[in-house]
Amino acid sequence: MDSSTPIASVAPAESEGGSSFWQDARHRLWQNKLAVFGLVVLSILAALCFATYLFPNISGYTYERQNLALGPVPPSRAHWLGTDALGRDLLARLLYGGGISLLVGLCATLVSLTIGVIYGAIAGFAGGKLDMVMMRMVDILYALPFAIFVILLMVFFGQNLILLFVAIGAVEWLTMARIVRGQVMAVKRQEFVEAAHALGLREGRIIFRHIVPNLLGPIIVYATLTVPEVILLESFLSFLGLGVQPPQSSWGVLIKEGAEVMEEYPWLLIYPGAVMALTLFSLNFLGDGLRDALDVRGSKD
Amino acid sequence: MNLPEIFLKIEDIRTHFPVEKGFLFKRRLGVVKAVDGVTLSLRQGEILGLVGESGCGKSTLGRTVLQLVHPCEGRVVLEGRVLTALRGTALRKARSAFQMVFQDPYASLNPRMTIFDTLAEAMQAHDKVPREELPGRIDALLRKVGLAPQARRKYPHEFSGGQRQRIAIARALAVGPKLLVADEPVSALDVSIQAQIINLLARLSREMGLTLLFISHDLSVVKHIADRIAVMYLGRIVELGPAAQVIEKPLHPYTKALISAIPIPDPRREAQRARILLPGDPPSPLNPPGGCPFHPRCLYAVDRCAQIVPKLEPFGQSEREAACLRVKEINGC
Amino acid sequence: MPLLTVQNLSTAFHTRHGVVRAVQDVSFQLERGETLGIVGESGSGKSVTCYSIMGLVPQPPGRIEGGRALFGSVDLLACSRRELNRIRGRRISMIFQDAMTSLNPFLRIGEQLIEPLMIHEKIPRSAATDRALAMLDEAGISEAEHRLKMYPHEFSGGMRQRVMIAMALITKPDLLIADEPTTALDVTVQAQILELIKKMQSELGMAVILVSHDLGIVSGFCDRVMVMYAGRVMESARTDDLFYDTKHPYTRGLRNSIPALQMKGAELHTIPGQPPDPQHPLPGCPFAPRCIHAVDYCAQEEIVLVDSPPQHGTACLRVQKENLSV
Repeated sequence: MDSSTPIASVAPAESEGGSSFWQDARHRLWQNKLAVFGLVVLSILAALCFATYLFPNISGYTYERQNLALGPVPPSRAHWLGTDALGRDLLARLLYGGGISLLVGLCATLVSLTIGVIYGAIAGFAGGKLDMVMMRMVDILYALPFAIFVILLMVFFGQNLILLFVAIGAVEWLTMARIVRGQVMAVKRQEFVEAAHALGLREGRIIFRHIVPNLLGPIIVYATLTVPEVILLESFLSFLGLGVQPPQSSWGVLIKEGAEVMEEYPWLLIYPGAVMALTLFSLNFLGDGLRDALDVRGSKD
Repeated sequence: MNLPEIFLKIEDIRTHFPVEKGFLFKRRLGVVKAVDGVTLSLRQGEILGLVGESGCGKSTLGRTVLQLVHPCEGRVVLEGRVLTALRGTALRKARSAFQMVFQDPYASLNPRMTIFDTLAEAMQAHDKVPREELPGRIDALLRKVGLAPQARRKYPHEFSGGQRQRIAIARALAVGPKLLVADEPVSALDVSIQAQIINLLARLSREMGLTLLFISHDLSVVKHIADRIAVMYLGRIVELGPAAQVIEKPLHPYTKALISAIPIPDPRREAQRARILLPGDPPSPLNPPGGCPFHPRCLYAVDRCAQIVPKLEPFGQSEREAACLRVKEINGC
Repeated sequence: MPLLTVQNLSTAFHTRHGVVRAVQDVSFQLERGETLGIVGESGSGKSVTCYSIMGLVPQPPGRIEGGRALFGSVDLLACSRRELNRIRGRRISMIFQDAMTSLNPFLRIGEQLIEPLMIHEKIPRSAATDRALAMLDEAGISEAEHRLKMYPHEFSGGMRQRVMIAMALITKPDLLIADEPTTALDVTVQAQILELIKKMQSELGMAVILVSHDLGIVSGFCDRVMVMYAGRVMESARTDDLFYDTKHPYTRGLRNSIPALQMKGAELHTIPGQPPDPQHPLPGCPFAPRCIHAVDYCAQEEIVLVDSPPQHGTACLRVQKENLSV
């Protein structure tokens, strides 16, 4: 008498299909109001910015069209956010610059993601001496002052948007590598991986079917949180005059220009600053929300 | 009537783990002798209970038999095949003959895979099963372990501990093994569920002719399911014999203490019996004492116990064996 | 007057997925020097009951929804934080299952041992250290002087548990709550620890509440036993009565499924089915879906703990109404 199928009254009828980890995570994310807010804001901003970047004339004003006769004016019906010293429409510059900042953010994050994941995965899987050597190299690189490194790169190789991506990405990969390596080592030790070995599964299958899917969570979270860091870095560089060059605008450039004249034309600083802050908050909320959603809940009963 | 052939032979296995410290040039601090000279034979269809407390090496022995850990000495022979000599692909392919059920039902299933995927993957690990046949075979397997076929579309976290353990058992059976090693399969489960899983394992073993090595720290669980019991202490087997006899009339001082320490859920019996309280804590395998590994805690120890390592020897004419220099005196022979 | 009187304690957790009623309407009494065992499986609410009494339930997401816990004349559930702190650690002590996580890994054992004395009795450090040494000795830890300076991770599991017991008893409390103190230990060490608690109990004359899933431990140790399931008390009686005159199908089922008591060869008795889902409680008796004696009203009427013979309470509707023998 080994009745173990749950008697119907004990386990209320569950739906036929199971809910996967990703479905559960999506559900959890959706319930997190801040994260959803961040996601919505980001989507709107990103849409506007990329649209403006691709079609600079979309609002009727481009980011570079000057109107010297007009000069700097505060927000008005013609120019919703006002104009700068050269009569350029701030809104257009802001959105165009946003496009650049976000682009830099995404691309540099992608670069750091690629390098970091490959490096960290190799170290994590290999273990032993190779892992140790690789991680010590990461430690050494961590010690290098980022700013000087990027400045040197810019000075030697000229100022180039692509180079900017690469430079920033080349610095951000370090943390990603550490995270991935840690995660690989943790997953490797899990019993279901040992079980897969015991079953006699091929090594490749174990890696791609069992280990890799369990890595994605932290990687996604960290990648989302890297984007705001990169945007900040980019704006820092632009502020120093090293990143994006005028007449192209990025948020860093706008903030720099705004800071220079902030007493007389405060809107030139306030709006770019506010929009950038809003974007960074949104990304952080989203990243935190993803972290909570993807956190494997202790499903012990 | 001739004896059934020896199905699994474990010959003088030693599994040692070096403890090292250092950066590039490792310094050896010591050796953890997790398994230190174990010889056992199992007949086909037998259920052997392997008991002992933490640090005794029973889990390591289980993993060594399954070649998940390599012994530094000794051989494991399954149906004439020397498993310890296998490497690489040959070893991988041989694994279908021997499988493991792990202790932690929450960790031994991949949380990202449905039950169907988990079982299908196992089935196809060694055997090309045509796609159309998979659902039917998986349903049959699920039914065999007492789960409804609807379970296959669900994920592990939707099941309770006992159910997950059933899934783990199904997975192990999917490759068609002849030997099953269960490493504390019910320790993480509630008492009322433990009995279900024990019944299941016993039934499957009988029906499928499986040889089962059941590892547990809980003697009462093992007594129920096992034909024979082997008691381990510090990497060695100190007593071996038919289950009922080992429990009712233990020979080795450690076994006696172990049995007397088990609480009996019966107040009158519990009040009446004499407890043997062992002094000290279970020793660490990093620093084993010389001579008999048990002598520092043994109530019957004499001088020579600290010098000579007792071998596991037959006791009289019976099938029982014990590793104690004074076993005859202690048991009144 | 009883030392501790718990009346209608109810604790719930308000989670994102709904309300989990961890403890429902639990009542019991404890006399001075008495040992009470609380037995149940996971999800039974046995630990949450003790945490509620001690004020250790995080609120939110937990909430004490009702009831009183009278310790002497003070209601632990309603008194001020200050009063509670005066009682906790001094007159009521608690030890937990995993000594490793209950001891502060950054402090030496000596520091942690004298802490309760310094807080509650305000004696000078030297006097406190002397008492700590004496306590370690009592707890069976050799080389006490040397051990005082060690850190928790340098001890084995059994020794850590002894240290925790020493810490809990150093203020000579009236009541010790032991939440699964031996579950994580080897069975030979478990026997030692239980002996130690018994010894200290008789020396100090204190009451003990022992929470466990193991009926065996409880049978050898406790004067009274309370069996919990799904947050409710199913049966409460003197130990002998619980074992030899069982009045609840769950208790009977629990006893029956313990391998130790069964004949080899036959299949083990099991309690069919699964423990209930705390987030989806069903009406009526929570054990009804798994009970071999269940009839229709079992799944409809709410259960209540009633003393059938005095001092022997059962919540089984059929036992109450029809005097069913289980």
